[in-house]
Amino acid sequence: MIVVDLLRRGAPAGDAPGSPGLDVLRHDPRLAPRLGLTVALVVGAFLRLWQIGSLGLNSDETVYAGQAASIAGNPAYTDYFPIFRAHPLLFQSLLSVYYQWSDSDMAGRVLSAAFGVATIFATYKVGAALYDRRVGAIAALVLAVMPYHVVVTRQILLDGAMVFFATTGLYFLARYCGERLDRYALACAAAMGLAFLTKETAVVLWGGVYLFFMLSRTMSIRLPTVFGMAVVFSGLALAFWLALRLSGAARTGDNYVVWQLFRRPNHTLAFYAQTVPVSIGLVVVAVAAAGLIGRRLAWQEGLLLAWAVVPLAFFELMPVKGFQYLLPVAPVAAVLAGRSVMLVFRSQRVASWTRGRGRLAAAGLLALMLTAQSVAVWPVVSPTASATFLAGAGGLPAGREAGTWVGRNLPRGSVLLTLGPSMANVIEFYGHRQAYGLSVSPNPLNRNPAYVPVENVDRELRQGNLQYVVWDSFSAERSPSFSAKLLGYVHKYRGIAIHTESVAVTADDGSVTHRPAVTVYEVQP
Amino acid sequence: MRRRLLTAVMALLVVMPATVASATPSAVPTTTPIKHLVVLMQGNHSFDNYFGTYPGADGIPKGVCQKVNLLVKTTKGCVTPFHISPTSAPVDLDHGPAVQKYQYDDGRMDGFVAAYRRLGQDGTGAMGHYDGRELPYYWNLAESFVLFDRFFASTRAGNRESYLYWVAGTAPSSPDGVLRDSAGYDALPTIFDRLAARGIPAKFYVENYNPRLAGPASGSRSRTSQLVKVPLLSMSRFRTDPALSGTVVDLSQYYRDLRDGTLPAVSYVVMTGSSENPPSRVDIGQEAVRKMTSALMRSSYWATSAFLLTYDGWGGWYDHVPPPRVDAHGYGFRVPALLASPYARRGFVDHTVLDYTAVPRFIEQNWSLAPLAQRDAASAGLASAFDFAAPPSQARIVGATRAAPPPDPAGPHASTAIYACYGLALVFAVGLMVWARVRRAQRPRGRATRVA
Repeated sequence: MIVVDLLRRGAPAGDAPGSPGLDVLRHDPRLAPRLGLTVALVVGAFLRLWQIGSLGLNSDETVYAGQAASIAGNPAYTDYFPIFRAHPLLFQSLLSVYYQWSDSDMAGRVLSAAFGVATIFATYKVGAALYDRRVGAIAALVLAVMPYHVVVTRQILLDGAMVFFATTGLYFLARYCGERLDRYALACAAAMGLAFLTKETAVVLWGGVYLFFMLSRTMSIRLPTVFGMAVVFSGLALAFWLALRLSGAARTGDNYVVWQLFRRPNHTLAFYAQTVPVSIGLVVVAVAAAGLIGRRLAWQEGLLLAWAVVPLAFFELMPVKGFQYLLPVAPVAAVLAGRSVMLVFRSQRVASWTRGRGRLAAAGLLALMLTAQSVAVWPVVSPTASATFLAGAGGLPAGREAGTWVGRNLPRGSVLLTLGPSMANVIEFYGHRQAYGLSVSPNPLNRNPAYVPVENVDRELRQGNLQYVVWDSFSAERSPSFSAKLLGYVHKYRGIAIHTESVAVTADDGSVTHRPAVTVYEVQP
Repeated sequence: MRRRLLTAVMALLVVMPATVASATPSAVPTTTPIKHLVVLMQGNHSFDNYFGTYPGADGIPKGVCQKVNLLVKTTKGCVTPFHISPTSAPVDLDHGPAVQKYQYDDGRMDGFVAAYRRLGQDGTGAMGHYDGRELPYYWNLAESFVLFDRFFASTRAGNRESYLYWVAGTAPSSPDGVLRDSAGYDALPTIFDRLAARGIPAKFYVENYNPRLAGPASGSRSRTSQLVKVPLLSMSRFRTDPALSGTVVDLSQYYRDLRDGTLPAVSYVVMTGSSENPPSRVDIGQEAVRKMTSALMRSSYWATSAFLLTYDGWGGWYDHVPPPRVDAHGYGFRVPALLASPYARRGFVDHTVLDYTAVPRFIEQNWSLAPLAQRDAASAGLASAFDFAAPPSQARIVGATRAAPPPDPAGPHASTAIYACYGLALVFAVGLMVWARVRRAQRPRGRATRVA
């Protein structure tokens, strides 16, 4: 009903059913979009917070949460999580305020979810600025239930917050293009500066701005405005460099840049094509694309496309690929989908095809999109019954439980050998015990600078410097060879399984079985 | 007949609790929360040799310089304490009664080099000392638990006596002050007898235990390390009495006992192959001790355990504290001693005057046993090292290195710098955006763009 009401804003009074309640909507044209936005925000918040703690933090999440705790000086984390790693620290700094008083693992997820909900609002504003409030409200609804955005903003990742600031920047850029007021350009630069301070990859989005103004026939930007934007953005970006310099960690960032640029690809070129459209929603992608076909594109579409194309091209070419890297595209897809729905709503051709029921067709299209999104998003927010998943797309099964067990049961000062650095991070975060990943390469060119390799595992085990070995199914499926090697050490050093965490796994026939996810072995020198 | 049967059943019921108690040390009542005591005797190092530079302990005084000849007044050519580098040649100093007497020099403690010079030996090595670089684990243990800096050898010289004081609270006298063989103390009561009489399980773990090397012996056979360090092997009852014959076992059994849940209430341990007795390398012995203690700390026993490490003699090394005279035999010079337990005081240097008999004394106090001899009866025991009023500390594996963890590249003011830089940036950016929005609100709205 809301969907139909949303589309009928401004429609002739005779078209609506004779419900007295709907008269209000007809008399106040802003009410229906606002209602749609409210629903989007409520549903968006629900989907991002529902059972948010059902799975423990994954490796990346523990790093960001650990950094936040270290910034706050929380002694339980400072030994394991150095403050400076690869990225700027705006998100972690905000989260660190919480860690001044407490250390719940879910605080970071709630903050990330808050940024996710704020992005729904920012997307509404983008749609409203570029087109009208109806497009904004539909875009907000689409983004609220978009699995891609939901799954990323349910995790402690920088991308959710970065995309909020970037979308805010897009909003101000849209305002600048619509009203030609320089202060919007400066506000855009400020928002982009915050996006950069959240995650440095946001700088790629400037490529979209550049591409837009280069290719646009109707839009131009004055040089003094560009200079002003550059000053504002550079001034904000300076905070990243300044914090590093004042902290005496100036070289830390360099190591990561070098490593990221020259590390081996972690996915094939088809990675994004296989994962991102499905997560955005194939119906949404199709609807958004359909609205662009066979029509002359205005500057609004040009801006949206330029905003999306540049990160798509950049991250496709970059050897390191991450599921969440293309998140800035999500609000664009939502706005374009909203635009397409409104095109159908107004289209005379569609009206003639459907014998005067074009508005109903548009409503059906919107309902189809939202239904498809809702069906796809529900498994994302429900506790997973799978032991395998894409890195960055969810929590680590049984990781929190295993780490907590380690913290409660193994002596302080224990040192553990895990299969990979992911589980090592989780053990260190929840268990507060030193852990090393077997798969971390001794070659500094082939490893993340944050990770410390075990140079000679045999020697460390023989001398009793490593007292426990942790095997986990998540890492084992990613690297079976290291799994075999780790279990070889367990056998060689008379390992005894002292604890096992299991997860419920749904088999093909629908039956649920419990499968070992994490096993802790005690080894004897 | 029926009455006899009833009597037998009643007798069985009376005996059964004692049998059960002997099988489970945790069921034996103790006066402290300590249900398991593990004591280990290493070999031949003085306190100053190991902990002479340990902060907070009574270590090597400033300005020490040992004369090379006690008969002259000049200190020219005297030898100052020096750090033994890992590449130094191993030093094996004579530590007989004559050397000890000369080093002691009626309490002046100035003959540690001269005692060797008069024998035609260099003796400079006696002034060497180790520190946390060579003894990282021991120093870490001291920082985590208790280091005793008034723990003296029970006798002035003679390792065999040290082990006897350790297990029996006394040692038989000998004409020249040193027992030459393992015969002559067959009937000496030991703490193991006391424990066995109460049905309290106890074992004597011996590294590389050789069961064929047992029994009172003299001559070269008597000088085998095993017979010196395990007085029980020279006592016939520990070979023939079924209740005692299983007391001495190989050290590998210690790890099996930890694993299988059969660790006795009292465990004595000696090392043979992994001894630190010079010229053996200290790191070998330290590694063996670490392995033992780590296994204990990782086990379920740790919560109710205490571990004591000490040394059977000073080994000829310099120590600056003149030992108190308590009787005709002792004390000897100070030796290192460390106590680890969840109930031990943390990072504590204990100045209580003790000797090896503090071990049987603690056992007697904890398990309510009668004293063995005068020394142990008079000993202060180990009570000062514990704090039973405080909650036990969480199990902790002590590190084997003293190297600091990789430093966080961020300096001490990182948090301040981060909050200042990012906070200012956030305020500035948000302020700019709000300003843009507020200015917009003051202007008339004009919208020209619509869906194409």
